[in-house]
Amino acid sequence: MRRTTAVTGVTALGMLMLAACNGGPGATNKAGGGPGQAAASGGTVHVLATADFSHLDPGLGWDGGVNNFYRLIYRGLTTFGAGAGAKGTKVVPDLATDLGTPSDDAKTWTYHLKDGEKFENGAPIDSAAVKFGIERAWDPEMGGSPYPRLLIDAPADYKGPYQSGDLKSIETPDAKTVVFHLKKSFPDFASALTMPNFTPFPKGTGAGHAFDTKPIASGPYKVASYVHGASLKLVRNPEWDKSTDDIRAAKPDGFQWTFGLDGATIDERMLAGQGTDADAITGTIQAATVSRIQTPQLKARTLTGLTGCTTYLSMNTTRKNLDNVKVRQAIEYAVNKDTTVAALGGSQLAAKATAIQPPTMLGRKDYDPYPYSLDKARQLLAEAGLSSGFSLTLDARPVAAQTAVAVAVQESLKPLGIKVKINNIDTSTFYEVIATPAKQHDMALTGWCPDWASGATFLPPLFDGRNITSTANNNLAQLNNAGVNQQIDRIAGMKDVAAANTAYGDLDQQIMAQAPIVPLDYDKVVTVTGSNIAGAYLSNSYSGGIDLVSVGLKDAGK
Amino acid sequence: MTTAAATSRDAQADPSAGAPGAPATAGRRITGVLLHDRAAVLSAGFIALMVLMALCAPLISALTGHGPTAFDTSAINVDNGGLPKGSLGGISAEHLLGVEPLNGRDLLARVAYGARVSFLIAAAATVLTTLLGVVFGMLAGFYGGWVDQIVSRVMDFLMAFPALIFMIAILSSLPAGNRSLLLVVVISGFGWPYLARVVRGQTLTLVNRDFVEAARASGASTRALVFKEILPNLRSSLIVMTTLAVPGYIGTEAGLSFLGVGVSPPTPSWGQMISSSVSWYAVDPMYFAVPGVLLFLTVLSLTVLGDRVRAATDAGEAA
Repeated sequence: MRRTTAVTGVTALGMLMLAACNGGPGATNKAGGGPGQAAASGGTVHVLATADFSHLDPGLGWDGGVNNFYRLIYRGLTTFGAGAGAKGTKVVPDLATDLGTPSDDAKTWTYHLKDGEKFENGAPIDSAAVKFGIERAWDPEMGGSPYPRLLIDAPADYKGPYQSGDLKSIETPDAKTVVFHLKKSFPDFASALTMPNFTPFPKGTGAGHAFDTKPIASGPYKVASYVHGASLKLVRNPEWDKSTDDIRAAKPDGFQWTFGLDGATIDERMLAGQGTDADAITGTIQAATVSRIQTPQLKARTLTGLTGCTTYLSMNTTRKNLDNVKVRQAIEYAVNKDTTVAALGGSQLAAKATAIQPPTMLGRKDYDPYPYSLDKARQLLAEAGLSSGFSLTLDARPVAAQTAVAVAVQESLKPLGIKVKINNIDTSTFYEVIATPAKQHDMALTGWCPDWASGATFLPPLFDGRNITSTANNNLAQLNNAGVNQQIDRIAGMKDVAAANTAYGDLDQQIMAQAPIVPLDYDKVVTVTGSNIAGAYLSNSYSGGIDLVSVGLKDAGK
Repeated sequence: MTTAAATSRDAQADPSAGAPGAPATAGRRITGVLLHDRAAVLSAGFIALMVLMALCAPLISALTGHGPTAFDTSAINVDNGGLPKGSLGGISAEHLLGVEPLNGRDLLARVAYGARVSFLIAAAATVLTTLLGVVFGMLAGFYGGWVDQIVSRVMDFLMAFPALIFMIAILSSLPAGNRSLLLVVVISGFGWPYLARVVRGQTLTLVNRDFVEAARASGASTRALVFKEILPNLRSSLIVMTTLAVPGYIGTEAGLSFLGVGVSPPTPSWGQMISSSVSWYAVDPMYFAVPGVLLFLTVLSLTVLGDRVRAATDAGEAA
């Protein structure tokens, strides 16, 4: 349940930083020779980024880029697998011995911790630390993912461990066992535990925003120095025991981030690959650079794939004209996705979207409900009695890529006589404005990245009619369809996670029949790695970022 | 020349005789000088061409079949980062100046419509600046005293102000409404003191000149003094200052659009086109070159022309 940072464009940080992924169409990961070959131990991997991480405290940060980084310094009970394609979306045990034992109709979950797991200060990672780390999510100063508060049964007045003390619904019968009591049955709890705000911390630490400057590491690296907005250096955490960790290869001795670089500068440096830039990785390249990486030498160190995010145009179903499903369907037929894909940098940086869920999702159904057809669009508008056209206001961000897509949509709807007025909202307040139904207009240009590869983190947050709130509303279309709501409840009650995911694929199609959004494109990643980079592949769980726990150097002595 | 100047001065000294004839003589003289100046003729020719292009923008679009905002994905290579197909930024019989990368919009149509925006804003800003400059400059110079104090302090304040930073701040905080109008108001708001200072200075000397004193003594109204005695004598300064101001405003408009606070897309403007072409300089230099060269030549032409007008006027006054 998070907004995509991908749509802010190829230049936006979260994405740029660590965006890329594999297994989607056009994956160019080759074994041996390229950046995919096995990494050697030692050396420092450099990362070039436009902007800093949102937060080093996993109780606050929560986006594809920072979640990927958290895995280097933090461990959770479960995490995503390390590997390209479907391997990267598979949930696996991390600190826990297994994916948990459900009881009481999946309302109670029991986890056991492995032996020999320690924090960077030498303290053992025990059940009390797990409990404390999760309790922090209720602290009023915390942000992050909503899952702890959404799933775990807590008193309404519970305000986190610093203010309210113990949370009764997380039990610690012994130092190695944690028992969670949930509000309701949740068969996919192991997936929710991958979220960063389930990270354990030694009891009593991290009040205020202490971890934003000096985190306590449980993973293979710890923070050596951090200058906000400029640089971040990670060195090995000697207390981390490789034998307890099957996920993190952790080959290099350290990582060095440089923040605040211009997107074009990063591209030039990556193409030139001089000095330590040969040991560098970065995020997605700019559209203007795509044509320059078509040589065999550069292609060999390029990784491409899907971010797992969908850029879409929401249509507010409560507004005049748009409340008619025929009008919305006419718009679905009329939007020329060739132009929106081109506006985002062409087929290498975006793939035409048809279904709501991108191809990285488990159980996704591939279908095209509204192939481009102006005739059908005109016919539907005529049936709605609007063949003479009308005006709409489109909320967008004044960022180059966003404006380009907004203009493409505007141009697409011109032949229907639909006049689109682009309403630019400053990037910093954009989500707040469109998430306030009283302030949003007819349409909005936005996107969504799932938290894990299940429709549960994609469709219910965006289309459950009972989730329409007066602020922080994610159902931008304000779709409140009885059939859709019923199906959401039915799938939520399913015990078999795989069957539920398939059912979400069908729900996707059921929702599109109502035409609440126009899926414009599935964002892609094209990233150039340094010539000395090895072990790099794009992770489907981290918005297509290079999986940091596996990346390393070919020759660590260089 | 000498005779002409002398006549004109005499005419001004006596408001009842010959005043309408004098400016025509001066105007003819300046035009004559400029017509013999090759640089001035070339500059004027280029400006005329640009103005014609701006005026005929819809005609150009109709002839080539490409509107300024119409997408043409067939003219770009979608699989190669949206670069224009063909050499030199996609220059072809279909698109005479090539196309924009990523969307295939016709550059000729966009520069033509962009010229409309640039010229309209520059012209409107010049008119408004001149109006404000003349009114406040003459108020200060004519009345003196506390009026002069207030106007002069406001001018000092505005001139000492970091105008560009303030313009960016104002334009980015104001709601999107009518951007062109906002640009004109903001540019003029900061531009008028430069003209007003000159006007004030000249008015100060003019009000004490004999011919004004004479008019005043013979019972001329304030209105007659201002419009018949002082204003005609400011004409040459005004012509020079405004001709030199136009290229400045075209540049300012382009600069503000470049910084992203100018007219909002999809309305084309030269500054905005240059801004979006920056990241493409390595792979599609023509995208940058087309609006860049036009902007450069337009500003250069206007500056040269303004400079020659000043030279011609100065020569006339000196003689």
